[in-house]
Amino acid sequence: MVTLNIKRQEDDKIWYDTFHVEEKPGMNVLEALFEIQEKLDGSLCFRFACRGAVCGSCAMLINKVPRLACKKLVGDVKKEDISSLKSDQILTSPQSSKESNDRVLIEPLPNLGVIRDLVVDMEHFYSLVDSVQPWITAEENYDKKHLIEPATQKKLEKYTNCILCAVCHGICPAATRDDKYLSPAGLARAWRFQLDPRELEKSKLQRYNIVDSPSGVWGCDLVYKCVAVCPKKVPPTKAIKQMRRQISEK
Amino acid sequence: MIYHDVIVIGGGLSGLRAALEAHKKGADVAIISKVSPIRSHSVAAQGGINASLGADDSWKAHAWDTVKGSDYLADQDAVEILCKEAPEIVLEMDNWGTSFSRTQDGKIAQRPFGGAGFPRTCYAGDKTGHNLLYTLQEQVLKAGIKVYPEWMVTRLVTDGGRCTGFVAINIFNSEPDVFKAKITVIATGGYGRIYKRSTNSIINRGFGIGLAYRAGVPLQDMEFVQFHPTTLWDSNILITEGVRGEGGYLYNKNHQRFMKSYAPESIELAPRDIVARAIQTEINEGRGISNEYVYLDITHLDPQLIKERLSGIREISMDFAGVDPVKKPIPVQPGQHYSMGGILSSINGKTPMDGLYAVGECACISVHGANRLGGNSLLDTLVFGKRAGQHAAESIQDKDIPQDENLIKELENEKRFLSDLFGESGENFATVRNELKNIMQEKVGVFRNHENLEHAIEDLKNLKYRAQKIKVKSRAKSFNLELLDAIELKRMVDIAHVIATGALARQESRGAHYRTDFIERDDNNWKKHTIAYYTPQGPRLEYKDVTITSFYSEKREY
Ligand SMILES: Cc1cc2nc3c(=O)[nH]c(=O)nc-3n(C[C@H](O)[C@H](O)[C@H](O)COP(=O)(O)OP(=O)(O)OC[C@H]3O[C@@H](n4cnc5c(N)ncnc54)[C@H](O)[C@@H]3O)c2cc1C
Ligand code: SF4
Ligand code: FES
Repeated sequence: MVTLNIKRQEDDKIWYDTFHVEEKPGMNVLEALFEIQEKLDGSLCFRFACRGAVCGSCAMLINKVPRLACKKLVGDVKKEDISSLKSDQILTSPQSSKESNDRVLIEPLPNLGVIRDLVVDMEHFYSLVDSVQPWITAEENYDKKHLIEPATQKKLEKYTNCILCAVCHGICPAATRDDKYLSPAGLARAWRFQLDPRELEKSKLQRYNIVDSPSGVWGCDLVYKCVAVCPKKVPPTKAIKQMRRQISEK
Repeated sequence: MIYHDVIVIGGGLSGLRAALEAHKKGADVAIISKVSPIRSHSVAAQGGINASLGADDSWKAHAWDTVKGSDYLADQDAVEILCKEAPEIVLEMDNWGTSFSRTQDGKIAQRPFGGAGFPRTCYAGDKTGHNLLYTLQEQVLKAGIKVYPEWMVTRLVTDGGRCTGFVAINIFNSEPDVFKAKITVIATGGYGRIYKRSTNSIINRGFGIGLAYRAGVPLQDMEFVQFHPTTLWDSNILITEGVRGEGGYLYNKNHQRFMKSYAPESIELAPRDIVARAIQTEINEGRGISNEYVYLDITHLDPQLIKERLSGIREISMDFAGVDPVKKPIPVQPGQHYSMGGILSSINGKTPMDGLYAVGECACISVHGANRLGGNSLLDTLVFGKRAGQHAAESIQDKDIPQDENLIKELENEKRFLSDLFGESGENFATVRNELKNIMQEKVGVFRNHENLEHAIEDLKNLKYRAQKIKVKSRAKSFNLELLDAIELKRMVDIAHVIATGALARQESRGAHYRTDFIERDDNNWKKHTIAYYTPQGPRLEYKDVTITSFYSEKREY
């Protein structure tokens, strides 16, 4: 058995519910949530799609750390000691209590409004990301084949790997203080297009103008929390530093 | 009431590509989807997309492989289009920024895939679907196409045999609304989750196919269900064919490379149906590990290559099975993977119903016939998505704006249906759904026979009755998952019924449909498409000839 403490919310009402779920071998947090929704309380809600850590739907706070529910085994998180640690400590030096406390705390992803239970306002996050104009503006009828060095593609890949799960947004202090902050993910995406040899120079300039603002690259505290939590090993802080340098050199 | 000239249901690759093309051709187009487009199942595709880009390759060779792979059930005119348009469709994606993996000289890299005579599968690491989907979502964003995210379409509206729009529930408040369109495009993907073991996303419940079926549109070749040979044990997350393409071996518990005895020439690279049956046979005959799985081994490959080209697979194995494939073999078993069948649809994506199109995995244009080749499905979504978008945009000029009467009537019907759906009585949806999955897995799976299929149909009739009686207990207004589950379950049972009925009737083995009581392909009697129509008593079957252009049938040997 494993116990899940889940923060519930509907309109202004906030409460915590406790559920006991039979733990099967290899069970992840998303599966535990389904056990609850299917058998114990049909009203519980959360987002999901792929169950394989590729679609980015299921970000939430698990033991105070933002992560993907389908990527965390219940058996691992139930051992974490959250009473004495802060989220970044759990990240940098995971401590398991001597006896497993068999308890998992689940809350919605921070820094985005709650719609109900574990479902948050992703539209806000998308609008931040979309404001960096995340698209290639290459000419429509390009008739040659693009030749791209494998090394360049490798660099791109680091950033195209982002699945827009908003885990980084959930831990970012700049996002907490400034709801217009373009978010680690938004800035990482901006850099992905700046790196792309297929993108037109004038579009890159425009994009630099967008991110060159207090709610853009200059809003970042450079604390690397986003890099630490990203389930896809995307390094937003690195992108932000690169863009700061490029902008300063202009 | 919301109006657009063209509305696409589904934000996966096929839906986005259709919308983008309709927009480019001047139509007012919108996309509606039950999840945000980037969460669609397409995001999970790993291995790649086929196109004969190589100088020594040709669309004809690609077409030949596809027809042979289909066990001669594919319509050859459609296959020709698929393969001819492939290079352009891939280069177009490259121009829009898809991060394809590259060769040393900067070209799009291509890897060998099962059933193909050339290395013609273009890939973006093992995240091809993710990269293609993001590229299209970016272009849709750039074009300013209206998206209605997190709406579930629940019924099509028809007027004098023409589709005039549909009713959909806004997931944020559980209220239904009605959408009017000159043309509706269904691009709702597959139904994998009617099986217990499936590589598909949890959201793949086949509802779109059910929508069309209930509206009177025929379904084609539904008995052809692809089982992927290598899915991760228990969670059934896909382990791409690319792993075998890069040189992975399959071993049974006696450390025999058993594929050598099933497909002496292509060994691990034989087509999916053959490998899936081989693995299932090994397991059934006691040569599996714990009677559940076999090993997919890449420990002999260069760790650097694994980290570079198969990093996603490595991550999946470590996260979901606790196995690092650099050091240990991956435990795999077959699982439902893809639907060759779907809504009957033409080479321009048109269904037999006026005003209704269908593309992507939910459609059957019949390029995959009885068995799809790896890398051909992503291609199918883009090629026919584009064609449908163009064709739809070109035909809106000749169409009047639909009348409101039936649309409003159906909205009222939906409201009544919804209010009746709530209540305290009735069974739990999950109990019925799990039974459905077990029936399909055990009786309509990799190996089929008369007796099991008959039992399955009886069971399904019973389940249909039980599904009808399910009541929703949760009254939550937003994100009422139980409500969505209950609605979807009814159509899942419908689809299962069509699959089992088609499978029982088809007394031969062809491609993915394997009957242990009819193990040979029977071209004289069964070289034809199954067409299923809805009737209250169950599906009514008809048959249709296969379109043949230049390829003759021969026995499939690999
Ligand atoms: C794990 C995996 C790996 C694969 N790898 C490959 C590969 O390497 N190469 C290849 O060629 N093929 C591959 N395939 C197959 C391929 O990914 C799919 O066939 C293809 O992506 C389907 O795209 P689609 O646009 O038809 O549907 P999807 O991407 O499934 O999109 C369906 C859309 O419809 C929406 N929708 C569904 N129902 C409703 C409703 N009622 N109301 C509103 N919206 C609705 C959903 O929200 C979603 O946006 C793979 C499949 C799997 C399972
Ligand atoms: S950068 Fe990482 S954490 Fe942030 S949205 Fe992308 S994948 Fe998620
Ligand atoms: S459900 Fe897709 S990332 Fe968790």
